[in-house]
Amino acid sequence: MAEVPMLEMKGITKRFPGVLANDRVDFDLYAGEVHTLLGENGAGKSTLMKILYGLYQADEGKILLNGRPVEIASPTSAIEHNIGMIHQHFMLVDTLTVAENVALGLPSSRGVLTDLDAVSEKIVALGKQYGLEIDPAATVWQLAVGQKQRVEIIKALYRVARLLILDEPTAVLTPQEVEQLFATLHQMTADGRGLIFISHKLHEVLALSDRITVLRHGRVTGNTTTEGATRSSLASMMVGREVKLAPDKPETEVGPAALEISGLRVIGDRGNVVIDDLDLEVHTGEILGIAGVSGNGQRELAETIAGLRQAESGSIVIAGSDVTNQTPAGVRSAGLAYVPEGRMKDGSIGPFTVAENLLLIDHNSKEFLDAGLLNFEAIRKHSQSLVDEFAVKTPSLDTPVRSLSGGNIQKLILARELSGTPNVLVASQPTRGVDIGAAEYIHIRLIEQRDQSTAILMISEDLDEIFGLSDRVAVMYEGKIMGIVDPKTVGREDVGLMMAGVSQEGRSAPGA
Amino acid sequence: MSRNAWIWLGVAAAALLVIIIVAVSGGDDETTETTEAAETTTTVAETTEAPEETTEAPEETTEAPEETTTTAAAAEPIRIAIVAPSASNDLAFTQSIVDAVNVIESERDIAEVAITDGTFVVEDAAAAIRDYATNGFDLVIAHGSQYGGSLQEIAPDFPETSFAWGTAADTFGLPNVFAYEAASDEGGYVMGVMGAALTESSTIGIVGPIEVGDAKLYVDGYKAGAEAADSGVTVNVNYTGSFSDVALASEAAQAHVAAGADVMTGTAQMVVGAVGVANDQGILWFGTQANQTSLAPDIVVASQVYKWEVVLREILDNMESGTLGGSTYKIDLANEGLVIEYNPDFELSDDVKALADQAIADIISGSIVPTG
Amino acid sequence: MSDFFTEAVLIATVAGAIRLAVPLLLASLGETFGQRSGVLNLGVDGIMLLGAFAGYYTVLKTDNVWYGLLAGIAVGIGLGLASSLISVTLQAEQGISGIGVYLFGLGMSDLLFQRLVGTPVPITKFPKVDIPGLSDIPWLGRMFFQHSVVVYLAFLAVPLAMFIINRTTFGMNIRAVGENPEAADSLGVSVAAVRYATVTIGGTMAGVAGAALAIDLGIFQQNLTNAQGFIAIALVYFGAWRPLGVMAGALLYGFVNSLVLQFKTLGIIPQSWSDIAAMAPAVITILALVIVARRFRAPAALTKPFTRGT
Repeated sequence: MAEVPMLEMKGITKRFPGVLANDRVDFDLYAGEVHTLLGENGAGKSTLMKILYGLYQADEGKILLNGRPVEIASPTSAIEHNIGMIHQHFMLVDTLTVAENVALGLPSSRGVLTDLDAVSEKIVALGKQYGLEIDPAATVWQLAVGQKQRVEIIKALYRVARLLILDEPTAVLTPQEVEQLFATLHQMTADGRGLIFISHKLHEVLALSDRITVLRHGRVTGNTTTEGATRSSLASMMVGREVKLAPDKPETEVGPAALEISGLRVIGDRGNVVIDDLDLEVHTGEILGIAGVSGNGQRELAETIAGLRQAESGSIVIAGSDVTNQTPAGVRSAGLAYVPEGRMKDGSIGPFTVAENLLLIDHNSKEFLDAGLLNFEAIRKHSQSLVDEFAVKTPSLDTPVRSLSGGNIQKLILARELSGTPNVLVASQPTRGVDIGAAEYIHIRLIEQRDQSTAILMISEDLDEIFGLSDRVAVMYEGKIMGIVDPKTVGREDVGLMMAGVSQEGRSAPGA
Repeated sequence: MSRNAWIWLGVAAAALLVIIIVAVSGGDDETTETTEAAETTTTVAETTEAPEETTEAPEETTEAPEETTTTAAAAEPIRIAIVAPSASNDLAFTQSIVDAVNVIESERDIAEVAITDGTFVVEDAAAAIRDYATNGFDLVIAHGSQYGGSLQEIAPDFPETSFAWGTAADTFGLPNVFAYEAASDEGGYVMGVMGAALTESSTIGIVGPIEVGDAKLYVDGYKAGAEAADSGVTVNVNYTGSFSDVALASEAAQAHVAAGADVMTGTAQMVVGAVGVANDQGILWFGTQANQTSLAPDIVVASQVYKWEVVLREILDNMESGTLGGSTYKIDLANEGLVIEYNPDFELSDDVKALADQAIADIISGSIVPTG
Repeated sequence: MSDFFTEAVLIATVAGAIRLAVPLLLASLGETFGQRSGVLNLGVDGIMLLGAFAGYYTVLKTDNVWYGLLAGIAVGIGLGLASSLISVTLQAEQGISGIGVYLFGLGMSDLLFQRLVGTPVPITKFPKVDIPGLSDIPWLGRMFFQHSVVVYLAFLAVPLAMFIINRTTFGMNIRAVGENPEAADSLGVSVAAVRYATVTIGGTMAGVAGAALAIDLGIFQQNLTNAQGFIAIALVYFGAWRPLGVMAGALLYGFVNSLVLQFKTLGIIPQSWSDIAAMAPAVITILALVIVARRFRAPAALTKPFTRGT
């Protein structure tokens, strides 16, 4: 490591109306190292990096590059200072080619004309050097997710980025793609570049970083080197108390199948087959985890079970009654509870109050009706008890749901869905974007529900969650189940390969 | 944004402001405007044996107060409002009524003339009609057949106000609605006779807007006149489907040229486009609704001009005697509400002129019925 | 029908189609720039009207058609910048603010005409230019190569627009900004600057289109464009945001109109059909729009204002 850090951010403070996003944050980076910025959603990581990349201006504090104070007023000036950023959501123009995306914003050697041939040559050369091979003439929308990320990295390398910010770069990758990415990143640090890695996936952080800085509520709450850290020590720093990452899971009796899917075929929004001849059984008292890279039919599977999407063929049976292509209300009356992946889009109604949202599925129940009109007294009592039981942090029952945090909305939805006694719970991405504290709570509730003999189908892209909670793991790839494995005996690597569609080994019998 | 961009923005804003200021201060008040209109028509009218009174129009208006004192016993000076679809100086339909009211203003004791023009949207016109009635205008002229439905609703609400609706032949049985129309087929017939005599290719082109009302009457009259005068003449008619599409009217004229026409006519305000083509190609033109000589002094032969003042005089007489509506009027060649005005710079042979005079006489006498 | 297949009529049909297409082509080429960068400017017709009046009035006073064209350009630049200010800086709802610009142009052009001119007076028109050699070709020469100067300019603008959009860095920026402004911004492309430029180009072309219309007709009157600016916007969709497609649309529209006029003139279509025939161009355009637009996707950021960091 060099004597002078390539980057020093000192006393950075950034205020948004009503929020202190960064509070006197210090952060530094040396050439040749990976320094991770760790924290919950809303801890201030992205704000800090947007300040570094010139997308925001800090209210206080200063930035030094190689010991010299600089002002970064815009992405242009960040690029001029050899800072690159790989954004969490790809910053690519889908209708442009790879070469055009790379050339965008750069002066051309041919003046007002584009110089895409020269750019393409350089892209190929960079690709060879860093193992990032890509066709410069390909249009971006044709590329797979992993290839798109290569384009993002090439964009940064092309701009001679010495300092690279990687904002949750692994979110959409398979474990194999993550490995490839890490190899590239190691090569980049070996070249003397400095990398800032933003993530909340603790095992990745431990695998990649040299140093780790933890942010909570806009403040730096911890600094550590990777050697001295463990997953639970990092989690505790993020949350500010002891956290159980893997909840205790008592052994339970696995009962009969409560959800039986056979020969299911579903057509997606674009008219293509998204679920293809799928068979699956979930038994009472078990959590079946569905692993897979986003977009392999998981969302459609959940929606079809919930009656929100038509099945082309096949059948879905809940607790013995056939609910194939029933209305959502019909499916619910058969004993289904459903936590959809879009908690604001499908799971709740933002402008409605907490109490109203809690009532959504029960609004026709006799309990809350008085001669056909809503009985507000009964509703409030019921709502209050749910809010208390599920520890939903809300100023009042009359607060609009959209002003709650993601974790509290998710707890609210879970409270509503579990308020009956469901035979089957389908939970899609139950803790995505939720803070660790809330995620921990949701995990405990899911296990409790399993112990009360509910059959749980949990769809998640987070392998930690899949392995921590599931009794069996089914891997979905291109609308099919690649295999069902026992998480106690099969490792992440095998599951990762299955997620990439590589192998069907390790299929275990249902209920094992 | 860069500093330069802001400066440019400032320049643009300033330019816009200047445009607005010029626009607002460019002309004076309404009265001057109507005077100007009167003057422009005067230059046209002088070419025929137009009575001197129009030229004196502005002066007489200023003398008006004196007259009031003498005739005050008879009636209060009345206030007239006009609501019309196109511009007051469109050299066509709207201008015809504005000119007429200007003539009346020079003859009689009129306290105020208000004009709302350009109301091609019927709802806007209806609002203007109701406004004028509410503000106590004595006579509100709804100059457009499309305004009928609105008038039928509004008139009963203002029994003290007299309404005039044209061109139309229906008063809805209301006691305070007059209707007026033009026998535009008569002038059309006369000019059709001239057109047939003047064409060398034996092909005549007519550009119309939509095949209804006054436009259809004129077109049919012109065609009948041309065909009656010379059965060997082909008369091509083209209704463009629009009262306002100047470009389409221009292309319609081009189509007539392609079909071999060397004499053309047309009606409604969009024909200015067709006149332009006729002028370029040296094709003879007959105008209607207003004197169109100024548009193309080389090729306009004659224009049928509407003198609505003939009707307005009768309406005002009725109002003075306490009758606010109920009757229907028509301007025609006989009552000199329709006048053929010739272009003095166009050398029209006496033979052709004689044919026209004969046609006029025959129509007045009733021996010719233009569109039967 | 046999009357139709004569040299004079066939030539007039094609030449008329080209003349009718030119104002639409100019305006929609300009609008293509704005839309490719994500800004829908519904004020085209208003800018055309003011450009038309400025062109008309300048020629009336100076008797120089080129000064008239310059006046149209100046008005177009001014209103293009004003439209940019409204939709880019102030981020107004583009579906509504453009209508404001249209109404401003409609009213202001008429007001200025009434105050400054009054009764329509014919003006000098653009000179007709016969392309040497080509104009002598039988039939084709009179169809395509005996037009006024603006006709050639308008059609030359098509390859120019294609070149700018597809081969220059500016064009690449336009496409990027219209598709994913966040991505363009993150690479240092100024979304606002690109959109100011494209909307101003659109305004300028609309001003030119209006001036060309007025100077080609040699006259001005209220609402001279008769909503051609809105048809120009539809043609951008019809042409799938590509200059060649836009040109095809403008020519189709001009051709259908020209053909209907010829048919009516020759009595091939009964006069009683005139209203139906008048609808034909619009109906054909809408049908084509439905069919073509389904196969191409609009710029993803069309009508969406951009704010950094959201």
